[in-house]
Amino acid sequence: MQKGFLETVKRGETVLEARGITKRFPGVVANDSIDFEIKAGEIHAVLGENGAGKTTLMNILFGLLQPDEGEIYIGGQRVSFRSPLDAIDLGIGMVHQHRKLVSAHTVIENIILGHPRAGRILNLKRAQEEVKELCEKYGFQIDLRAKVWQLSEGEKQVVEILKALYRGAEVLILDEPTSALAPPETKTLLASIEAMARDELAIIPFITHKLPIVLAISDRVTVLRRGKVTARLDTGRVTEKGLAKRMVGREVIFRMERTRVEKGKPILQVENLSALSDKGFLALNSVSFSICEGEIFGIAGISGNGQHELVEVLAGLRKAEGGKVILEGKDITHSSSLERWRMGVGYIPCERIEVGSIGDFSLVENIAMNFYFDDDFSRRGILNYGKIRKLTEEIISEYSVMAPSPDTKAKNLSGGNLQRLILARVLSRRPRLVIANLPTQGLDVGATEFVRNKLMEAKKERAGILLISEDLDEVLSLSDWVAPIYEGKFMGVLPGEGAKRESVGAMMAGSRLKG
Amino acid sequence: MRIGSYELKLEKRLTLTGWEAAIGSILAIVVALVLFSVIFILAGINPLFAYQEIFSYAFANPYGLPLTINRFIFLLLCTSAFIIPFRAGLWNIGMTGQLYAGALGAFAVLFAFGGRESRTSDLAPEILIPFMLTAAALGGAGLGAIAGFLKGKFNTNEIVVTMMLNFIAFWLVAHMIKEGGPFMNPGGRGESFELPPSVYAPLIMGVPVTIFLALGVAILLYFAFAKTEIGYQIKAYGHSPAAARYAGISTLKIPFLVFSVGGALAGLAGYHYFAAVPGVYKIARNYGYFGDLAFYGIICGLISLGNPLAAIPVALLFGGLSIGGRFVQGKLNMGFGVDYALLGVLMIILVAFQFFYRYKIVWVKTGEERLDVGVYR
Amino acid sequence: MWEFIARSLDASTIFTFAALGELINQRSGVLNVGVEGVMLFGATFGFIAAQSTGSYLLGFLLGIAIGGLLGLLHGFFSVTLGADQVVVGMGIWILGFGLTTYIGNPYTGPLGMERIPTILGLSPFFYVGIALVVVSWFVLSKTSLGLRIRSVGENPSVAEVSGIDVTKTRYLCVTIGGMLGGLSGAIYSLFYNPVWNYNFLMGWGFIALALVFFSMWNPLILLGGSLLFGTMWQLSLNPQLVLPGVLSRYIWRTIPFVITIGVLLTMSTKWFRVRWGAARPEALAEPYVKQ
Repeated sequence: MQKGFLETVKRGETVLEARGITKRFPGVVANDSIDFEIKAGEIHAVLGENGAGKTTLMNILFGLLQPDEGEIYIGGQRVSFRSPLDAIDLGIGMVHQHRKLVSAHTVIENIILGHPRAGRILNLKRAQEEVKELCEKYGFQIDLRAKVWQLSEGEKQVVEILKALYRGAEVLILDEPTSALAPPETKTLLASIEAMARDELAIIPFITHKLPIVLAISDRVTVLRRGKVTARLDTGRVTEKGLAKRMVGREVIFRMERTRVEKGKPILQVENLSALSDKGFLALNSVSFSICEGEIFGIAGISGNGQHELVEVLAGLRKAEGGKVILEGKDITHSSSLERWRMGVGYIPCERIEVGSIGDFSLVENIAMNFYFDDDFSRRGILNYGKIRKLTEEIISEYSVMAPSPDTKAKNLSGGNLQRLILARVLSRRPRLVIANLPTQGLDVGATEFVRNKLMEAKKERAGILLISEDLDEVLSLSDWVAPIYEGKFMGVLPGEGAKRESVGAMMAGSRLKG
Repeated sequence: MRIGSYELKLEKRLTLTGWEAAIGSILAIVVALVLFSVIFILAGINPLFAYQEIFSYAFANPYGLPLTINRFIFLLLCTSAFIIPFRAGLWNIGMTGQLYAGALGAFAVLFAFGGRESRTSDLAPEILIPFMLTAAALGGAGLGAIAGFLKGKFNTNEIVVTMMLNFIAFWLVAHMIKEGGPFMNPGGRGESFELPPSVYAPLIMGVPVTIFLALGVAILLYFAFAKTEIGYQIKAYGHSPAAARYAGISTLKIPFLVFSVGGALAGLAGYHYFAAVPGVYKIARNYGYFGDLAFYGIICGLISLGNPLAAIPVALLFGGLSIGGRFVQGKLNMGFGVDYALLGVLMIILVAFQFFYRYKIVWVKTGEERLDVGVYR
Repeated sequence: MWEFIARSLDASTIFTFAALGELINQRSGVLNVGVEGVMLFGATFGFIAAQSTGSYLLGFLLGIAIGGLLGLLHGFFSVTLGADQVVVGMGIWILGFGLTTYIGNPYTGPLGMERIPTILGLSPFFYVGIALVVVSWFVLSKTSLGLRIRSVGENPSVAEVSGIDVTKTRYLCVTIGGMLGGLSGAIYSLFYNPVWNYNFLMGWGFIALALVFFSMWNPLILLGGSLLFGTMWQLSLNPQLVLPGVLSRYIWRTIPFVITIGVLLTMSTKWFRVRWGAARPEALAEPYVKQ
């Protein structure tokens, strides 16, 4: 293992310091005179909403961006990075939110990729032994010969951590380390982080909204808002509410008001539905449930447990291997996705850019995606672009989509605005069944609030809503019924009100509902 | 590159207006022609003189102009055949085979009605010619449909499939017109039997009526893409098959449709050249040459950026260039293949110009100071 | 009979070189659909050089050189400019097809030189080809360089962050790929079919492309595939060995192309599709933009 630049730094001494970091982009100051420092053996979290400047700061610390002003000191000496490679050589490691691994390669291949000591002919054996030592030290359990695409999200993250450690990282930057993990995996990860801190590594988790995590693990926390540091506190002395206030500048509602709507007749009935994954394995295993008018049915689970396949079967984009799907009394198991749109199914996909919209199309053409087949907008094969345009203008104003004009290309929209557009497009059809797949993923607090409010509106209009979310709190606060999914099966179906977070979290990771 | 406090930078384009695209395309053509003059220089010919000869023969000469117009009709149909799948994000390089299939289809109808033996046929031309047109379209469509179906159902690479089909069709034609094949000319000569004069396509001012077909198709296509539901579906699929599927568009139907219609148009190009151009009226010995010419359709399609109306002037220009090039090749004693070489040079310049459709050159005031590089000790 | 086998193996050599070059290209994430163009250039320039100077060595060297140059061109457009790689490939093909038709025309006809000495009745390139396949397999799967190439083809941004120069690696691979392609063309025109005619490669470049897909990017399977295709091609030229008298010789000429389509079809079956999807370099044909 490469020995770090910092091996002489002892516990308690400042290992990394940033002073007066400023970075400007056209129209915005992303980082404004930010000071940050972390000592060896410390866990110092950086907290902030999307757009607060976290990502910019993180990229500067890792050498992906150059600051306009300010200095960085490592072990007391001033440094500057031309690229992440300089940062890596100086002992800084980064674990990204979106996995930066080669899925087709094995774990050990990923770890030694690009390592200066990899040698001409790969000596996997020696590397494996060295990595095994690291695993034992910090409590990581992982099969080094497995291919990365076979691993769970948590395991993939472990691989990235090992990769950084194997390159000699003494300072670890973690980007949203727990956002894709289930509660049990989170526990394991936190334990490993604490083990690494005890070994005098310095850890900087960058976090958006998992405030409990911040409180649980960090020694200090720095809060960013609109590019500036608004607080730097010892974690022992602050509460969740206090942190949130400093993040957002106002009181934030943590729990949505649960709207009571009278239950109606069933809109969706699913009987023993099964489906295969893209790789040919059984991803959805004989699932049955139903959703009535005015109900929100939430599926809680870590991605990769069958929710995605379930949603695609319901939308008509994936073949059902067995079972039935009944919409308002009609069997639609073999209906095409176009027929389902016509019958009142509205699918909000999680892949905003690849599936939910067409980047090179204008906003008008994007709206047309769900309306081109309607008799209102298409007569004898000719599209009435004028009418679609009018609809687009209405949607833009009603849903506050920020765009210069309806002719703007969708690829020029920000993530939040794109989601507003997609939501608007689907909900404007007044669907009977709304399928919302990860609707708030990657959105900031403002946009998230908006999406949830719109779903509530749909609920009041007596649609049935299927909600897939990886945010346990979101599912629990919005849904009338919660079904944790694990390996393609529902571990139980609980009423949303009064559901205990711990038990749902446990079910998401495989334990069954008792009694 | 810096001058004072400004520097030259490459910026990604956010939009590409029609004018900017047109200028890019025209520039590409000009650069290609300039580059191509190297070929003339190497053959010891003054390029300006050569180009003057080319253009005057193609557009101002009583023999050259009709040839140009016939070539233009042929190219416009091939270009349209390329453009339809192109808008769907697919490559139809099988126009060659599809036009062979179209020619075979037209001659099959003729054969069925005794056109081989007699100089007049049993049926009146008013019935026979539409029949031949339909057969040509069906032949081309059939070949195209194979590629389209395989792509839609199995996602097989359409480039390889259409190319293979080109060769298959090529040899099929050879089988039919040479050495005892059914369409062989009674006099041998390795070509097909001749079209009976009664079935010659009607001419208007010396130009076959297929010109209306070609122009009509181009205009129709433009409106189809701009206004119709199916045009929208094709465009959506072309940008993102995944998003199109989400929107309920059939990812099976679209490839099949675009390749079938494209193939049909190429088939009509085959009818045009072998059954409608005065002086030809048979599947010639060197039918392979016309098959190769179909590749100009790719270039026209790319230069016009998939716009069926823009393809009209472009096809006319290239029709003239290829006819003029052939003429100059003979008159100035150059080797065979001048028009082939032009094809090659045009294509590679076009590819280079793709870059300018995505990026533009701007003058920008140099921004902030860069932090000094290196580690301070 | 031996004559038939020898010709088949000689044909397969050309497929091997062309497809191996493209395999290396694609493993690094660059798609070149214009292999036919590269081969045409290598064949034509090699032919002209050899005939003009009387030296086979010069012919082969020029073929390799021009192939490498074309590879660099492809690399420049695809890697540095980030253009659509299919468009670039088509450009190279049509450039090759167009230019070689004109340039080679004066040389139409037989090479007119004594044949290259053969080893056991086969061209020396056959053995070189097998060696190259083994070497490629070894490099790709067992060495650091191979790991780097594969990573660049699967996920270039990860490779970049791990310290690999994506641009350099891709340029290396397209140049090698181009050289092999040019060489395969030269072998065709100087040994297998030493009679120049325009577009005389008869679509072999596209068949080689299909071969690369079929081999699932494994050099060893590729060798098997090219042996198969070489045999099949010879069969189509000599149908009398299998089915004398049936069908005109023109119909027989279509068989290799039909079979290629058939091969592509088998690749769409479930068994194949899953493995193929897993073996496919994830970043194939995607331009990589440095962050």
